[in-house]
Amino acid sequence: MRIYKESSEETLRARKFLTQWTRDGYLSEERYERLEQDTVSDLRSTNIFLRLVFFFFTVIGAAAVVALFFTIFLSRPSQQTTGIFLSIFAAVSYTAAEVAVSQARLYRYGIEEALAVCSVAFLCAGLGLAFFSAVPYSSREIEFVIPAVGAIASLWIWYRFNLWYAFPAAMIFAIFLPGYWTPSHSTQHVFISVFYAAGLICIVPVRSRHRFDYLEKAYSASEAFLWLGIYLVFNLKISDFRLLSHWGSATRFTSEFAEPFYWTTWVLIWCLPPLILKRGVRKKDRFIIAVGAITTVLTLVTNKPYLGWQRHTWDPMLLGIALTGVALFLRRWLALGPNGVRHGFTAARLTGKDKHTMSVGSAVLGLITPQSITPDSQPTNPDFRFGGGGSGGGGATGDY
Amino acid sequence: MTILARLELWKEQGAISTEQQAHLASLSREEPFSLSLELNLLLYAGVLAFVAGLGWSISTWSQQLGDVLIVTSISVILAASFWYCFSRAAAWSGAETASPTPIFDYVLYLGCLVWCVELAYLENRFHVLSGQWDLYLLATALLFFLLAYRYDNRFVLSLALSSLAGWFGLTISHWPSHQDATYRQYALVYCLVVDTVGAILHRLQLKPHFSTTYLNVTANVLFWAILSGVFDSQDRGLWLVGLLIACAACLVWGLKRRQFAFVAYAAIYGYVGVSWMLIRNASDSTFILAYFVFTAIAMIVILLQIARRFGRPE
Repeated sequence: MRIYKESSEETLRARKFLTQWTRDGYLSEERYERLEQDTVSDLRSTNIFLRLVFFFFTVIGAAAVVALFFTIFLSRPSQQTTGIFLSIFAAVSYTAAEVAVSQARLYRYGIEEALAVCSVAFLCAGLGLAFFSAVPYSSREIEFVIPAVGAIASLWIWYRFNLWYAFPAAMIFAIFLPGYWTPSHSTQHVFISVFYAAGLICIVPVRSRHRFDYLEKAYSASEAFLWLGIYLVFNLKISDFRLLSHWGSATRFTSEFAEPFYWTTWVLIWCLPPLILKRGVRKKDRFIIAVGAITTVLTLVTNKPYLGWQRHTWDPMLLGIALTGVALFLRRWLALGPNGVRHGFTAARLTGKDKHTMSVGSAVLGLITPQSITPDSQPTNPDFRFGGGGSGGGGATGDY
Repeated sequence: MTILARLELWKEQGAISTEQQAHLASLSREEPFSLSLELNLLLYAGVLAFVAGLGWSISTWSQQLGDVLIVTSISVILAASFWYCFSRAAAWSGAETASPTPIFDYVLYLGCLVWCVELAYLENRFHVLSGQWDLYLLATALLFFLLAYRYDNRFVLSLALSSLAGWFGLTISHWPSHQDATYRQYALVYCLVVDTVGAILHRLQLKPHFSTTYLNVTANVLFWAILSGVFDSQDRGLWLVGLLIACAACLVWGLKRRQFAFVAYAAIYGYVGVSWMLIRNASDSTFILAYFVFTAIAMIVILLQIARRFGRPE
């Protein structure tokens, strides 16, 4: 069912490990050259930058081909005709992705990924136009087929091509499904969380069979996305977009939701982060730990709006102190363990990959920080405005 | 065959020793599990949240708290941060050096951000330089460059580069509304100055690992400036020639140094600029779409050749 053979993916993975270990000095160049011969793969991969560029141009090319076809061959087509042809193009695009892999042996090359992504987009647009737009009084209830097909197609792409981002795409499609079934926002939230929970129930037993193999990270990322999705669905201060316009005000917004539902979600947003963190720590899963940390911060940030309490200007400072304190405590606690290890965890950097990530990350984050740290001034002091942080130098050119 | 099975096989074949096999197997199983990256991100987020809250609190409560209390508080944080850095720093070296303590980089970063807050507050309240922000930015940029080179800190280097960009009038948030000739000229001068200084420092072997940051920043600023010239300027042809030269240089550099980010810059920025010139006056949709079809295919073919010849997997 998967387009890449297990042996090919494992070989590529082994080669990546070898390269990393050689960079980190665990293997000599001679030994690397000897072992590299055992990791020759028939798949063709490239680096992240060329992959992105290939993706960009393939999407442009595919979209332009479809548009050109309609321009040349179909003058003023009906929506149904457009939909049918878009569905045909979806099939063509998908076939091209399969051929790119089976014939050209492309692997994470951008081209086959863009074709697969385009096939999902064409399919959803085609279905919508072919079956629903043309029918003047089509039942809204059956229009759920469009996001359902989008979700299934995305899941198929995720499974078949092992493309991690197709999984969150399927989750996003799933968000639109309950809207066709019920007008109740509470029920919609419950439906979405049930979908994600079902996904978790399916993935958790499967991933346990892939410990230490090439699929471990893929399943780990998918599980992390599902946990994050469940949390975001339950955190009504984030997931309900109508409430975002009232962000930070002291009013509690329970009117759209029944009181029991509202308070149940409040309890859940406090229960989920420790649960996620516990699972991440127990499984030693980086993605799930990250989601656990993110959801913890989100809970702290959204708690006051949830309770209808007034936010204070010093709240971010307290959050900053708490985050720094936790980081320092954990680092110290881990470092004091035997050989700097406690319960299989260490604060030490073991690979150069982390260092590289931090180097690139620090350069990028350092550039964007000045734009983000200084909030707009408060309207309570019209004569004195401080903040804005419009540019470099930590906001030193802001509007004062 | 999983990596663990492969390591076992290599051990049996004598390609690696038993100790190596055990060590590499533990690394591939992530045993022990390193939380280094996560802890660093927590520290970064903590510093950022703290400074954001500090700025927000000062802007809201300055009148109630009074200048003395605010300036004293900020100064204490600033002094404590810099004292920590000065007292913990190792001897200076032109080569890449590790941080003396795990939190060193973040304390320095905190100090730099608090410096910005204090400077902004002082100028706003006391008008020390009568609103001449340029001088503040220049002084701040110079200070940050010094600190970045003294303590080998990319966070601070990026702050220095953005402060210098601010001094040159390159306020990113104002960029969309000021795509005029003056900004373009400033951008070009900025790129020239930063690249020249970066090249000289690289040649002098002063923190040569910083040069990638210089080049990435200036490449993007340069391409944005040139593209704005192609889009808006009266001398579009001239800017297009400049774009093509910049793309060629970027491409050659990227391929020579195996830094494929620059190949990507050349491909994307070049394609956008040239496409704009060719189709901006076209009204025939068939021509425009055919253009995109053929050029996208051409770009893919060219890049495939480049990838085959020069590209390497990650």
